[in-house]
Amino acid sequence: MNNAQIEIQLIASLVAVACAIPGTFLVLRKMAMISDAISHSILPGLVIGFFITQDLNSPFLILLAALTGVITVVLVERIQKTGLVKEDTAIGLVFPALFSIGVILIAKNANDVHLDVDAVLLGELAFAPFDRLMIAGADVGPKSLWIIGTILSMTIGLLIAFFKELKISTFDAGLAASLGFSPALIHYGLMTVASVTTVGAFDAVGAILVVALMIAPAASAYLLTTNLKKMLGLAISFGVFSAISGYWLAHWLDASIAGSITTMLGLLFLIIYLFAPSKGLIAVMYREKQQRTEVSLLTFLLHLKNHSETRERHVNHLQEHINWQKVRAKTVLDLALKNNMIIIDNNIVSLTQKGDEFTSKAINYIITNEDAQIEDMKDDFFLFRG
Amino acid sequence: MDKKIAVQVDDLTVAYNYKPVLWDIDLEIPEGVLMAIVGPNGAGKSTLIKAILGILKPIAGSVSIYGKPYDQQRKLVAYVPQKGSVDWDFPTTALDVVMMGTYGSLGWIKRPGQKEKKAALEALEKVGMLPFKGRQISQLSGGQQQRIFLARALVQDASIYFMDEPFQGVDATTEIAIINILKELRKAGKTVIVVHHDLQTVPEYFDWVTFLNVKKIATGPVKDIFNDDNLTKTYGINYKVSIQE
Ligand SMILES: Nc1ncnc2c1ncn2[C@@H]1O[C@H](COP(=O)(O)OP(=O)(O)OP(=O)(O)O)[C@@H](O)[C@H]1O
Ligand SMILES: [Mg+2]
Repeated sequence: MNNAQIEIQLIASLVAVACAIPGTFLVLRKMAMISDAISHSILPGLVIGFFITQDLNSPFLILLAALTGVITVVLVERIQKTGLVKEDTAIGLVFPALFSIGVILIAKNANDVHLDVDAVLLGELAFAPFDRLMIAGADVGPKSLWIIGTILSMTIGLLIAFFKELKISTFDAGLAASLGFSPALIHYGLMTVASVTTVGAFDAVGAILVVALMIAPAASAYLLTTNLKKMLGLAISFGVFSAISGYWLAHWLDASIAGSITTMLGLLFLIIYLFAPSKGLIAVMYREKQQRTEVSLLTFLLHLKNHSETRERHVNHLQEHINWQKVRAKTVLDLALKNNMIIIDNNIVSLTQKGDEFTSKAINYIITNEDAQIEDMKDDFFLFRG
Repeated sequence: MDKKIAVQVDDLTVAYNYKPVLWDIDLEIPEGVLMAIVGPNGAGKSTLIKAILGILKPIAGSVSIYGKPYDQQRKLVAYVPQKGSVDWDFPTTALDVVMMGTYGSLGWIKRPGQKEKKAALEALEKVGMLPFKGRQISQLSGGQQQRIFLARALVQDASIYFMDEPFQGVDATTEIAIINILKELRKAGKTVIVVHHDLQTVPEYFDWVTFLNVKKIATGPVKDIFNDDNLTKTYGINYKVSIQE
């Protein structure tokens, strides 16, 4: 690896971390769309800031563009508060308007502004190492690295200082307010961090990758853990992993780096969405099937308990009577047998003592409306699950 | 008997989008009562509590807690929101949610430590939820979630407790467990204010009641004012409850 390659990966990784932190809270607040809005609507702020400062990397320009991001959030909330449209509609109204103002400003001043719309959307990560920061004539590294590094340090500092406040106001804004932690202040603080991060990352990686880096790692992490700190950690790791693997994918395919990183993010999310142990699609489908079989089993056991006459308990009769198909009836019978809930004697099915106890308890829970307890009970009674 | 006033509400009007949902409420809650707020859905019960706690800004009127504005008295007040108001899929455990009750006394930036954890564990014990401390909150039943909320309020060790429908979706056992804890709080001299829907149990559980439907209909001791007349005024239809002696 040469220096430029290392620097590109370093920049991409820092951007990933800086995005994953606010992204985690945006995902938990069900505000993923707002990052999309911010990333597009900061464009006019960038252009106007550039007219004033004539320097794309000036801190003032970053602040001005970030302010446009916060204004977007305020506008969206205002429109939403009128009660005429929903939040996503409000977002859809605000950001295309601001983005197109930015595009028009660029087009009108194409000669003066060193920006084009492609670069805005996809960034120029490959060129980031060529724009160096010089201090007293010495080369101290790429400018993007310094910008994103500064923003990231601030984000981490804020996260550590206000972790508890972020958590409580995200989980329960009412309680946070009653305890004196202004949820509005924290909300706009988070929006400011998201906006500043977006602006800082924008030049290097472009709007699309910023949004992807904010949302995809956090959404993937959300599927894997029930602990907020772990969710943050996982989101950060996924972001960095996608940044680095995306870089090499681009290298190998000779494709756009931002595009490849976005692809990696998408793939990662897809895999986790399918295979996550408890919230993944396959796990959910498996559980549903298991639930179906176990409910059938319970129905079957209840039937046995209700009917002492042998004619109602004949293996064949069950199939006709409960109206199950052969396979289903067999699955249920097998499951009951494996769990020692029933015995079959001469094709007549009866409950074992254990089966009887399980059924009585289950009936009790159903009558008292505590169906949830049945799940816990299954752990005690079942040797094999459906 | 001259009792201190724990909560005083004067001429309170609260609106959402300029549409008032609470009109000109005057209310005095004496210290040490266990009070029910009753009224139909949409009467503004939750709104009243939120306005008292400064979560909503009223368009007129004022609130004081032991004679001072709420801002200065936060630490005296604990709040149990209506259950539907939080995201139960949030990645956090029962213990962690109860710990949130200690955040108020910690203030900004400072983080909870061993002392807060111990208080949270004690509160969990009190509501019978200690075995579930590590559970992710979405994996708790409705009644268990309600107990967690109660534990979180207990951990605040306040003087005044506001609870928005703590009996919502809980079974008879949990309901009795919760009401016993509330009665214990009253015995310890605390003031407890509960939004309550089951009119049958009002006389049995509470000693004070407020009827609310956009306006305040009546407030006072249950034995004096919990009658068909006030119920009819509040609920609009002819109401008859049999009050057990
Ligand atoms: N965020 C909101 N925006 C607009 N209107 C609201 C909002 N919250 C409540 N309302 C309206 O204010 C009125 C009072 O609501 P509130 O939640 O205080 O009623 P409640 O008495 O607690 O009812 P419930 O018994 O159903 O909990 C209702 O008409 C409701 O539709
Ligand atoms: Mg309510």
